[in-house]
Amino acid sequence: MPREELLSPEGLRLDGRRWNNLRTLKLSLRTHPTSSGSALLTSGHTSILCLIHGPSEPSLRSKQQHDRCTITVDLTYAPFSGTDRKRRNRTDKRISELRSVIQRTFSRAVMTHLHPRSEITITLLVLSQDGGVLAGCINAATLALIDAGVPMWGYVAAVTVGWVPGQGGEGEEEGTPVLDVNNAEEGELGVLTLATMGDKGRVILGMLESRVRLEAVEGLMAVAVDSAGKVKDMMDEEVRRHGEAIARAAGVGS
Amino acid sequence: MLSISLPSAAPPLPPSSHHRASSDPDGDITMSASADDLDHLPTTLVTPGEPLTTSPQWMRGHGTYLTPPSTITSSVLGHITKTNKLLSVTPLHSRYTPEIGDLVIGRISEVQAKRWKVDIGSHQHAALLLSSINLPGGILRKRTSTDELQIRTFFSEGDLLVAEVQSLFQDGSASLHTRSLKYGKLRNGMLVVVPSAMVPRSKNHTVVLKGGAGAGEVEVVLGVNGFVWIAKKRVVEVKKPEGGVQGMVSITRLEEEASMALYSNENDEVDEATRKEIARVAGVVRVLAREGVRVEEEVLKIGYKIAVEMAEEGDEGLEGERGRRMVERVLGS
Repeated sequence: MPREELLSPEGLRLDGRRWNNLRTLKLSLRTHPTSSGSALLTSGHTSILCLIHGPSEPSLRSKQQHDRCTITVDLTYAPFSGTDRKRRNRTDKRISELRSVIQRTFSRAVMTHLHPRSEITITLLVLSQDGGVLAGCINAATLALIDAGVPMWGYVAAVTVGWVPGQGGEGEEEGTPVLDVNNAEEGELGVLTLATMGDKGRVILGMLESRVRLEAVEGLMAVAVDSAGKVKDMMDEEVRRHGEAIARAAGVGS
Repeated sequence: MLSISLPSAAPPLPPSSHHRASSDPDGDITMSASADDLDHLPTTLVTPGEPLTTSPQWMRGHGTYLTPPSTITSSVLGHITKTNKLLSVTPLHSRYTPEIGDLVIGRISEVQAKRWKVDIGSHQHAALLLSSINLPGGILRKRTSTDELQIRTFFSEGDLLVAEVQSLFQDGSASLHTRSLKYGKLRNGMLVVVPSAMVPRSKNHTVVLKGGAGAGEVEVVLGVNGFVWIAKKRVVEVKKPEGGVQGMVSITRLEEEASMALYSNENDEVDEATRKEIARVAGVVRVLAREGVRVEEEVLKIGYKIAVEMAEEGDEGLEGERGRRMVERVLGS
């Protein structure tokens, strides 16, 4: 697909969004009450379910660390999640990489020193993929961890930003960032996935897997940090709504 | 409260006239200053990363952390709890954290040389030492190496037991004991697991419900860890001692008689009517917890009574909408 089609002269993207529009973000917590914590995240056509088990006794003795808890990430793509049905096995290199990225991110965000010799298992199930799977996984895991009551330094909020290069004409802009890429854009563009922790825009994860002009990176990061803050606010709003509903039910009972 | 750490080197107070006026000669701040500060604390829910106060006079408790220089920040979703000058956040929902004296129900997960590992739904498995159980043949008997070899005859993997938290290890994991006739192996019933926040700590954790329609009594043991055991009421059969004082049994003799059946793996005969009532109580516990009502003695008794009434009215079962109706009637009564 030619790059100019990704962004029309009027500045509209394939799905009719402007460069700075996020897709509709639907969040829900405690979708699976038998787990320690759970969350379902839907961002456009990307849909991810996250379940937390723990902190609990490690499943393997080797996972026990004497001074902190171990975080184990289990990531599965449902066979029906993509455009064509295919079964991905667990040793898939792409999945292992994402798992390790998520594991490292949350090892820093969770206060692991509070639960020594235990394990927290983050189980992620990608139900439907349309770009931004890593960012979605991180946001879903943050919500599920909060639901599980696991102490964290702050919210981890992730977004994706793509870079549409300009045509190189005289007086033309060098290019445009596009926020929250979908599957078609993700396949064509250089995409930065960035996660921040807390309010201050501290970057905890940055992942750029394709070539982007060096001058563009700073702009991409600025856009990403800014919108991660917005995503954090949306998550906070949903967490409060969920918390108040639980507190209300408990208040009635006592 | 062992795991609370004081803020390292509390920063000196700004030399304002207000503070000087309200300070004791030895540097203590009077309560008026903290009363001012109370008003600034958030009263609603707090979420991870939310600053609670910048005042250096508060100590940080559970669920919080210190952001330099002196901001206390929440680390969980929950409500603020103030204990004197200790500021902590109680999470709305979390796994069970053991405390000394808690009555818990657990399942043996591992048998080691001199101890068992018990899954109590906490961060780590609890330990039950061979020396902290009632050995058959009297409470005063010393533990011998024969007992160590026979460790599986007392408890083996998968057994359910009720115990009390005796002490906590440095890392927060629990050590249990069953040195009372109230504790020990569980038989003749079923286990229901609910979130630990749904079972509050109270004076009495054993509830006896009178089953209607020819059913025997049902005993409910509410573990603080959210494990609830519902069973036919235990009857301690005491044989008449030969040649002893008529009708009287010495304490040690009672222990001895009881311990014969203490580690049995065989269920007694539970008749159908009682089994039905056990299942009904299990339904009541599940529905109460699902609807966010804490399972306590009173609530459970009322809930069970209403469930029986509903069944008599032809509204048998507690699934979905019926369960909600039951909870409404419990809250209404």
